[in-house]
Amino acid sequence: MDGGEHPNLALLFSAAEAGDAASSAALFTALYSELHRIAGRELHRHGWGVSLGATSLLHEAYLDLSKRDGSAFPDRNRFMAYAARVMRGLILNYARNRQAQKRGGLFELTSLSGEALQVAAPIDELSRVGQAVEDLADVEPDLAEIVDLKYFCGFSFEEIAAMKGLSDRTVRRQWTKARAYLLTRVRDLDA
Amino acid sequence: MSSPSDTRDSWRQASPYLDTVLDLPPAERAAWLAEVRQRSPELAGHIERWLAACESVDTAIFLDEPAVLPAPVAALSGFEVGAYRLISPIGHGGMGSVWLGERVDGRFEGRVAVKLLNVALVGRSGEARFTQEGRILARLQHPRIARLIDAGTTAVGQPYLVLDYVEGVPIDQYCEAQQLDVPARLRLFLEVLAAVAHAHANLVVHRDLKPSNVLVTAAGHVTLLDFGIAHLVQGESDVPGEARLTRDGDALMTPAFAAPEQVRRGAITTATDIYALGVLLHLLLSRHHPSEPHLGDPGALLRAITDIDPPRMSSRVDGRLRKTLAGDLDAVVAMALRKAPEDRYASVDAFAADLDRYLAHEPVVARGPSAAYRAAKFARRHRWPVLAAVVAVSLLVASQVSTARALRTADHRFSQLRNLSSQALGLDARLKDLPNSVAAREALVAMSLDYLSGLTAEARQDQTLLLEVADHYVRVAQIQGVPTAPSLGKLDDAERSLATADALVEGLLVDRPQELRALELSATLRTYRAIIADTQRRDADTNRHLDGAVARTDALLAIPGVSPEQRNWAASLYANQSLAATNLHRYDDAVRLARRFLELDRERPMEPSIVANVRSTLANTLRLSGDLDEAYATIRAAHAAYRSAPDMSTKLNLYGLLLREGLILGEDGGVSLERPDEAVVPLREAFTMMNTMALADPNDATSRTRTATISRELGDILRWQHPADALEVYDVGLTRLAERPDTVAIKRSSAELLASSSYALRRLGRTGEAKQRLDRALALLTAAKDLPADPTPIDGPVHTTLRARADHEAEAGAAADAVRQYRVLLDGFTRGTPDVEHDLTNANRLARLYEALAAAERAAGAVSDAAATDARRQALWQHWAQQLPGNAFVARQLAASAPAAR
Repeated sequence: MDGGEHPNLALLFSAAEAGDAASSAALFTALYSELHRIAGRELHRHGWGVSLGATSLLHEAYLDLSKRDGSAFPDRNRFMAYAARVMRGLILNYARNRQAQKRGGLFELTSLSGEALQVAAPIDELSRVGQAVEDLADVEPDLAEIVDLKYFCGFSFEEIAAMKGLSDRTVRRQWTKARAYLLTRVRDLDA
Repeated sequence: MSSPSDTRDSWRQASPYLDTVLDLPPAERAAWLAEVRQRSPELAGHIERWLAACESVDTAIFLDEPAVLPAPVAALSGFEVGAYRLISPIGHGGMGSVWLGERVDGRFEGRVAVKLLNVALVGRSGEARFTQEGRILARLQHPRIARLIDAGTTAVGQPYLVLDYVEGVPIDQYCEAQQLDVPARLRLFLEVLAAVAHAHANLVVHRDLKPSNVLVTAAGHVTLLDFGIAHLVQGESDVPGEARLTRDGDALMTPAFAAPEQVRRGAITTATDIYALGVLLHLLLSRHHPSEPHLGDPGALLRAITDIDPPRMSSRVDGRLRKTLAGDLDAVVAMALRKAPEDRYASVDAFAADLDRYLAHEPVVARGPSAAYRAAKFARRHRWPVLAAVVAVSLLVASQVSTARALRTADHRFSQLRNLSSQALGLDARLKDLPNSVAAREALVAMSLDYLSGLTAEARQDQTLLLEVADHYVRVAQIQGVPTAPSLGKLDDAERSLATADALVEGLLVDRPQELRALELSATLRTYRAIIADTQRRDADTNRHLDGAVARTDALLAIPGVSPEQRNWAASLYANQSLAATNLHRYDDAVRLARRFLELDRERPMEPSIVANVRSTLANTLRLSGDLDEAYATIRAAHAAYRSAPDMSTKLNLYGLLLREGLILGEDGGVSLERPDEAVVPLREAFTMMNTMALADPNDATSRTRTATISRELGDILRWQHPADALEVYDVGLTRLAERPDTVAIKRSSAELLASSSYALRRLGRTGEAKQRLDRALALLTAAKDLPADPTPIDGPVHTTLRARADHEAEAGAAADAVRQYRVLLDGFTRGTPDVEHDLTNANRLARLYEALAAAERAAGAVSDAAATDARRQALWQHWAQQLPGNAFVARQLAASAPAAR
């Protein structure tokens, strides 16, 4: 651990789950910086070029944080549901920063910015999808969560089904619905 | 779609309905939508728009890839991985990159291939497992298998594999380039089989066999790549252009070579490799893939793998090659490609032996009728997985080990071993639900057994710890193979582990006969031993273990301190013991045990679906024992429970209950209450239900085969009094079967229906058609290689058809022919030696055959023969009247067989 002041994430989790908006925002910020920190550390550790995907980054984060905050820490599934939303923010933020520098095409964060994530999607598409997901989160939050887990974090259907206690079939159906909504919205944005 | 708020509005209205309509088969969606439109055109409009979006997005490349991918490997030339230095990249795939490497210390070991795996595939938590399993695979040494030299993670956490570097050509390309003839191809393929057999003997399943993993070297010998690697890295492909492993990490396999159980995420066993080898052989011999027309369409391909029997291999080619492949080689390949793993060659050695026989011009086993005969012979056995759901609980209950005590032990080494063993078993609980986990689980079992033998030695002094060791042995056995749940299928190994545990627990019980945990463990492991012995048809052992298990379960429940969980667990043991007793024909015990379960359920209710299930099997046991009134009452109770808990529909099928109820009421010619008019009611309900399902979904296989099954039972009852009605029912069954791909099983069912319907046709005066149908039935069974049959089976399609033909002769007045044919069937009984003294079903079958034979003998003028046959029938029922005094069914049969009744 790199010392410093850590907010107690376990407490933030319970407050956020109880519906406290301020805690929710604080949790997002705290998780965001944690993921950032862990990504940086992993990059340092694997210095010579191999890096983590989003899924393993979240696993690492969970291991780290649950160790630190002890038994009060939420279970893995609840953690992932939150962290996935944070991950979306993280990726979209990367995308926005990159967009300011360079428009379009594939880009790679590893070598350029020293970050451990490589964003594969075209930036333009990514930022439009980002807007559409935020919209979807308003209309049907459950579906947005599936998108976070599947698209932004790279979990498999099976993993998502296990996390959310749904059948594989239901997850796949929700994924279809979510994509249909997003594609429609993205096209609206294009128009 | 216009403004964002319109879009949102439209979505909000449509979204809940989309779940419903997306769950419907595509063909039914339009009709459903039309119905909604009648009520609300506007709503229907919204749904339709979004449904179209859903349907089109499934084929679009949109959000197909995750937003974030692991970064590519940077230039690593010269980098050192373990004892190796990377020279140059050979390939790069989604799962990592492959490098040519050499030893750092300059010691010569030939060139190696170093695979650098993505960290995400292994994860830091999986490093230990990865390294350990890698070491196990490294022990796999065979001249035709590329060695795994090393596996591990570097200091910075990079997982890697070091393998023999093999230069060669994929086997299919090699065969074409060298223009090898069929025998030469077979000899090359036999090298492949030898290598796979070696791996299987070492408990390693390849699970991704395909041409690119079977290389032929310049010297003309095969080398197999990536043995057992598929599960280590969850499937990987580094050959350019071969990146067809399915994505998503949830079903990692190469679809074109995947076995049905891989597609269905079933248990992966050595039979999975045998299937892939079948595909490979098909490809090598015919130059065509068995599912060729479907290769372009992933969905269709997966359906073809699970549902469609490929056409004969020889039908894919012409001319001389066709002649060479037709017959034996067709049969060999078809055997390897059977849908059900247990129907394939039992081992790679058996597969190879058949090809050896072919090359030596001897008849191959795959063509013999034995497989079908065996399958038919055992079909009546009662199946184990009924209580799988109950047994799954055992891991929770059985794993409550006394951690505190174990921690107090001063012996550090013991705690270490204990932890390793617990971790290995805990890991398995997580592994077992993953696809492609067999080799990993096998490795775990090997590891665990190592630990456990160490633990047993260390724990000698401490009984509590010995109990824990025994508990671990039982859990290892569950992984190895207790037939109540998916396992590695190694029953002999499981029995060995259980016997070891049994001995440990017995030692403990000598000193402490009241120890709850020891009793619970003893009851459990003896039930498992009984189940295994039953599955292996070792009746004496089954009897012994069953008695031991019951005694221990009784003892456990007699102790006041028993916990509610332990009571439930004991109940489920009784239910499983009841099944074992049924299989041993110990019906009284079976009934008593099932009732013990139900009593315990009354005291403390258990999962309703399991209770209904136990009731349903109890009804079956009661029927087998001849107690038909109780059987009927019991099935009605199961029925009532089912109706009151509609959410059980997926767990327990109404179809099964209705069928069982109908058969108890009045199965034609069976052990029943002989109330055909009432039997028709549930059977007709099941028939309508299944047929409606079949009509609603043209691709649904289950409802079609079930419609056929039920149409026969229903038609058989109706045919005597309502032949026209019966004929209609049979024909619906036949139509449903004709909609299925023409497999051996479909041929058999069709034959049964055709033969059974001949009775109805005769009663309608259409004797000529009856004869035609019988001929068609016989032709189908001949095509299925079930006929000729010697001896004739005592039940099943062949028996039904031959019996129908004999009955036809008898009714048509050809008494001498009928007599001859009945005697052939009787001979089948004599040589099949069914236990007609303890098995009422078989006794009844035999008695009905005597009855028909006697009638025909009398018609043929052989009066004294007829009298002798009648006497045998009467003697049989007299025996049963003593066996089951007061039994109404037996009494009716005895009365009907008395001379006065004739």
